[in-house]
Amino acid sequence: MPFTPKSGKFNASINTVEIGTGDKAVKIGGENVFPLYSFDAPIENAPKVGIEITDFGMEHELECIKKYYEGCTTLAEIAAKAASMEGVDFLSFRMEGGDPNGANKSTEELIGELKEIAAAVDLPLVVCGCKNAEKDAELFNAAAAALEGKNAVILSAKEENYKTVGAAAGLAYKQVVGAESAVDINLAKQLNVLLSQLGVDKKSIVMNVGTAAAGYGFEYVISTMDRVKAAALQQGDVNLQMPIITPVASETWGVKEAMSSEADSPEWGSQEERGIDMEIETAMAVIAAGSNAVILKHPESIKTISGLMKELV
Amino acid sequence: MTLFDVVFSGNDTVYGLTEGAIDAAIEKHGADKAIAFPDTAYSLPCYYAVTGTKVATLGQLKEALGVVKTLMTREPRLNDAFMSGIATALCAEFIEVLKYIDGALPYEAPCYGHLADAVIRELGVPLVTGDIPGVAVILGSAPTAQEGVDLVKSYQAQGILVTLVGGIIDQCEELGYKTGANVRVIPLGKDVTSVIHVVSVAVRAALIFGNIQPGDAAGLMKYTMERVPAFVNAFAPLDPVIVACGAGAIALGFPVVTNEETFRVPKSLIVQKDVSKFNATSLEARDIKIKITHIDIPVAFASAFEGEIIRRGDMQVEFDGSRVDCCELVMTKEASEIEDHKITLIGPDIDEMPVGSKQSICYVVEVAGKSMQSDFEPVFERKFHSYLNCVEGMMHTGQRDMIRIRISKDTYEAGFRAKHIGEVLYAKVKSEFAAVVDKCQVTVYTDPAECTRIRHEVAMPLFDKRDERLTTLTDEGVDVYYSCIMCQAFSPSHVCVVTPERLGLCGAVSWLDAKATNELDPQGPCQIITKERPIDERIGEYEDVNEAVQRFSQGALEDVSLYSIIEKPMTSCGCFECICGIEPLSNGVCIANREYAGMTPIGMTFSELASMTGGGVQTPGFMGHGKHFIASKKFMKAEGGVARIVWMPKELKDQVAERLNETAKELYGIENFADMIADETIAEDPETLLAYLEEKGHPALSMEPMM
Repeated sequence: MPFTPKSGKFNASINTVEIGTGDKAVKIGGENVFPLYSFDAPIENAPKVGIEITDFGMEHELECIKKYYEGCTTLAEIAAKAASMEGVDFLSFRMEGGDPNGANKSTEELIGELKEIAAAVDLPLVVCGCKNAEKDAELFNAAAAALEGKNAVILSAKEENYKTVGAAAGLAYKQVVGAESAVDINLAKQLNVLLSQLGVDKKSIVMNVGTAAAGYGFEYVISTMDRVKAAALQQGDVNLQMPIITPVASETWGVKEAMSSEADSPEWGSQEERGIDMEIETAMAVIAAGSNAVILKHPESIKTISGLMKELV
Repeated sequence: MTLFDVVFSGNDTVYGLTEGAIDAAIEKHGADKAIAFPDTAYSLPCYYAVTGTKVATLGQLKEALGVVKTLMTREPRLNDAFMSGIATALCAEFIEVLKYIDGALPYEAPCYGHLADAVIRELGVPLVTGDIPGVAVILGSAPTAQEGVDLVKSYQAQGILVTLVGGIIDQCEELGYKTGANVRVIPLGKDVTSVIHVVSVAVRAALIFGNIQPGDAAGLMKYTMERVPAFVNAFAPLDPVIVACGAGAIALGFPVVTNEETFRVPKSLIVQKDVSKFNATSLEARDIKIKITHIDIPVAFASAFEGEIIRRGDMQVEFDGSRVDCCELVMTKEASEIEDHKITLIGPDIDEMPVGSKQSICYVVEVAGKSMQSDFEPVFERKFHSYLNCVEGMMHTGQRDMIRIRISKDTYEAGFRAKHIGEVLYAKVKSEFAAVVDKCQVTVYTDPAECTRIRHEVAMPLFDKRDERLTTLTDEGVDVYYSCIMCQAFSPSHVCVVTPERLGLCGAVSWLDAKATNELDPQGPCQIITKERPIDERIGEYEDVNEAVQRFSQGALEDVSLYSIIEKPMTSCGCFECICGIEPLSNGVCIANREYAGMTPIGMTFSELASMTGGGVQTPGFMGHGKHFIASKKFMKAEGGVARIVWMPKELKDQVAERLNETAKELYGIENFADMIADETIAEDPETLLAYLEEKGHPALSMEPMM
């Protein structure tokens, strides 16, 4: 009997969400097939790669990152440099210093820095918070206002602060709203429903369904993404058809495989290589499981992943 | 004069004024003269929102007035009055925009007049999130300046945005009361027409935050009604113009509360003679709930104190339901019967009780709310244990009329008294059950005679009634079941179908709990499952249940039965209290509970059984379930019911024996059925088990083979 290949194309598709404005704007999502299954139907928008910088500039970075930013003194210069790296589709600014249990920088200070960065680059912007839900609500409210007209991604609203973040980013200033949940398809869906009920357009939502570094409870991440994409495509669940954007760097550059120095773990070899490997492996795995965009840090990882995407899609 | 006449005449007056003002302006400046409010992209926001037309010149304004005239129909019907109200508001907007001609600055401090779009974006976010729970529009002069300021202050303390029009502005100034956008008290202007500037805020909020398209008047009114929690407080005397403006407010869904004896329209035009009650009346009329973030007690409140033990020597006083009359009770009342946050103590306070003594206490929490159901009462009550334990230096055990509470000496010395129990319960019930509780009051009884009365005459009959309801709740008697997918975080394809006679397998989610969870968190883990299309009554299979299970398991499960362990059994996550598995030799089933560490006649321990049963897969012949399900008439109904149970650990058997015996007597006429069931003291292997069952004449032996 001859083998007749069957197309795995679905009637439903992932929403296409545009981020940024003008020539440099990028689109994520839009596919009606499983991740990277371009043999089933063409995938119009290959997964995109963002580069992450934080409000600390190079202060807390490893030597292997710092060397790429030599000569940059201001955040604006760092941002411009980051934006110029090969394969970068968008710039992500993490306002890490806002954490009240950390540096506790004021909202005014951080938003001032955000504005400097926004003025220095023309790439689409993703704004990440400090992981404290209350402070993030304040930061994102101000960030959404400061970036009015830039069509930036505010990453992200969580169950604790979705009203403030959703209203500011999604309603008042028409940015793209990130919806963050902790590795659970039902929580992801619930947050999307809540944001829609608030009045945020489903087509202006992207999800961060949670992540981990490869090997750190990562199977939960993968199975959650798998199930989200299956529900969105097979079952046509409109509350899960939002594209997924996954911050990878903030996870992988915190685990011992990336952070343990060569002096401490000589048998593990080059620290820089380990860090890059962790970042690439994690990024590729979440892309294969359904992420439509990843946020990375090391220029080598970015070049590799963006190159892979060009080959695969 | 009827209310209609008053509205119409007020509308006519304002229309006449507007027409005159526009004509005069055209005469002076010409019809091409540009007009606009400053700092808005929405032209004349109210007119633009209602009609979809932008007005840029005096000539166009005159045309717009013609459109307004068409709204002014004069039939004595509600809709005509509302439309005339809207027409009055639009006229007010026209009069106001004329003040801004030539870039004039018609308002000076403290008045704001027109508010810029930026202010609305800024205020809109806290309005959407509920951080600003409402918008008060205060119009006219209070009977005295002090009463006016007190009213403003009361709203301000609740986080409500206050806008002022007319005499109240002078009254605030007179007493030196601070106003301004930064303190959320915004004086708009002294003419009544300046009220349009707050309407303009509501309208632009609908355009910006509600995505309402200009010209969609119906959508606009729906949005303001549902989403803009504004209301009007209009002080006497009311003239027809104010009444006509009020009709416009009501058309947008904003109730008007006044102290003038005038017409009353239920829920819309409310007469409240006592200005000090304007706040409560307005909040109730507009259904505004104030978030409670602070519990007013002299000691800390945190879950860290939940497990705190108070030894006899450390305790100031003890309330002990096993010795004297005590109880805790939630009762549903009508809203009119409850004064929110009223806390009453009947009997001596703690400082009048001897140190270390045993005392009576009853606390009755009365609640009212549009979505409140008496079925939620026990759900709230079960939380009291955790609430009271969270108080530093307070220990609570038990429930209903078998409670015991100890209060430590330190906590007493910090100033903790009986009313603080009320404060804790009030704050927690109002905040955690905000979805269903609108008003709440607490009465704490410490008078022994009153406690006896409350316990025996109020509480016990109510508890009996609830138990009665629980036992009469059957799967057939209800219209819907509930899903529970709380465990999907670790068991992704598992779905519990919770029915009155089959509680969740964890034992923690009964049908009533699931119902309450659904009501309190409509997007949460418990969703309604209808049961309108039965496929097979015997095994309890329904088309709608199957569809729900397919949806909630993201397609992993096709179909489940509610009453069979063999055919399409329900899945298990891993949290089951008990596992039931087939024991082939005896033609029955063995049940093992989680606490039981020994061997079962099936040849597997609980954990070995668990590894076969969990993970959200259907394993015919095995089923996870709650302890309470064992005595249910629906337990394995398809295979013959509880008569199949041949073995369970002794401890479990003792727990369920009484109810199980009742069920067996009712279903099969067997007395003391539990005695026929073996346990680990009788048999841990199939042969010994079979011998025992034969000796007892266990019914399973003569039943049809299960497989």
